[in-house]
Amino acid sequence: MKKIRSTFLIVQAILLVFCCFLPGGCGRSEKEKIEKYSSVVFAMDTVMEITVYGDEVSLKKAENLIKDLEEKFSVTLEESDIYRLNSEGSASVSEDSYELLNKGKEICERTGGVLDLTVYPIVRAWGFTTGEYRVPGEDEIGELLKKVDYRQITLGDEGLVTIPEGVMADLGSVAKGYTGDRLMELFRDCGITSALINLGGNVQALGTKPDGSLWKVAIADPGGGEGYAGVVAMEGKAVITSGAYERFFEENGHTYHHIIDTSTGCPAESGFVSVTVIGEEGVLCDGLSTSLFAMGPEKAFEFWRESNDFEAVFITSDDRIFVTEGTEGSFTPLGRYKNVKPEVLRHDQN
Amino acid sequence: MIKTKTWIIIFGSLLALCAGLSLWIFLKPTGGNVANVYLDGKCVHSVDLSAVTESYEFTVSSDRGMNVIRVEKGYISVVDADCPDKVCIHSGRISDSAAPICCLPHRLVIKIEKEMKAGDDVPDAVSK
Repeated sequence: MKKIRSTFLIVQAILLVFCCFLPGGCGRSEKEKIEKYSSVVFAMDTVMEITVYGDEVSLKKAENLIKDLEEKFSVTLEESDIYRLNSEGSASVSEDSYELLNKGKEICERTGGVLDLTVYPIVRAWGFTTGEYRVPGEDEIGELLKKVDYRQITLGDEGLVTIPEGVMADLGSVAKGYTGDRLMELFRDCGITSALINLGGNVQALGTKPDGSLWKVAIADPGGGEGYAGVVAMEGKAVITSGAYERFFEENGHTYHHIIDTSTGCPAESGFVSVTVIGEEGVLCDGLSTSLFAMGPEKAFEFWRESNDFEAVFITSDDRIFVTEGTEGSFTPLGRYKNVKPEVLRHDQN
Repeated sequence: MIKTKTWIIIFGSLLALCAGLSLWIFLKPTGGNVANVYLDGKCVHSVDLSAVTESYEFTVSSDRGMNVIRVEKGYISVVDADCPDKVCIHSGRISDSAAPICCLPHRLVIKIEKEMKAGDDVPDAVSK
């Protein structure tokens, strides 16, 4: 009997251990949650949303970085590098402005001047910078076009930049992309592995979501409203869209949008309603989304075929969707494009 | 001796049961406090109520009308609606699956469930 009792006691003890400790212990040792920190910043004439996982301090640093870059790149803030350059014809600029002017010029060159950092006076003449829209006369555009040439911006030694009188530099087409790249760099330096930023519609991600799944970035419906034209799944990329639907006005039954064709000085009549560029480098995606939009399908597709550093989703005005081969499978049409079958562009086809 | 063996078998199986139970508790999905908002049977919004830190409101609208939904830590409620009967508002806040909030005129249902039902449809950001 003694033996039985002792066995009984031992079993009871083991039972106690299993029933009490194990479930209780498991309940408490939940997977360590990675905290999500978000912030909204109003800068560069737009709303910026920043989300980082795991480190609140980096969020503050990100806000400061954005403000700092805005003060350097703004065309209207009197103390900015670009303002000083435009008003004085030459200026010793910060490393960031120099770097961005340099990068911007490279993209201008690569697009054969479809992107031009000096198009500002024309954009202003159309009223897209102020909202006081008007259709400038042919002569006025002709005069202004003479002053549009990014090659006139000269990058000298030790941060010295010069520009001829009447020519105006504007980094608006690449500034948000560059800011995105700098933020990614900052987050990486802070040891963050997961972050998502939306700089006024320019979306850029670091890594994947904390659970390892891909980020889902919707592409706005170019017809306006709240719907989406589709969704792109990606990790660690910038997803930047240009469309004719954001800033536009109507006059005498004609719609004028804000993407200027640098060869005519008028809004680009390209046949696209939306162009999304997806790639590692935000500044390139930013500059190219506008340029590819202005180029129109034929040139834009050719441009992509000759490149290997970005992918794209194109939506034409006749509701066709073209995706580059690297985007095949990661893009899903939605909303009123749900039944549109994306046509795939390949590098080896003509 | 036979008796001892019987005891061992009884407690052995109990032990196995306990271990199985522990394993199940350990592996089952956490949460179970997700509010899914359905409009006309389609889930349009999902929120993990246990993860809410600050309460907020959002509006769900369709051509039938609109409902303003308030989300708090652990609770969800309809605080405003342009439906004729206001039954949804009078349902107050819910925190469990016992009684979903329904707005029949707008065909809106808010249910507390285990999983996010709209998770796949909600993008992380919109590129424009």
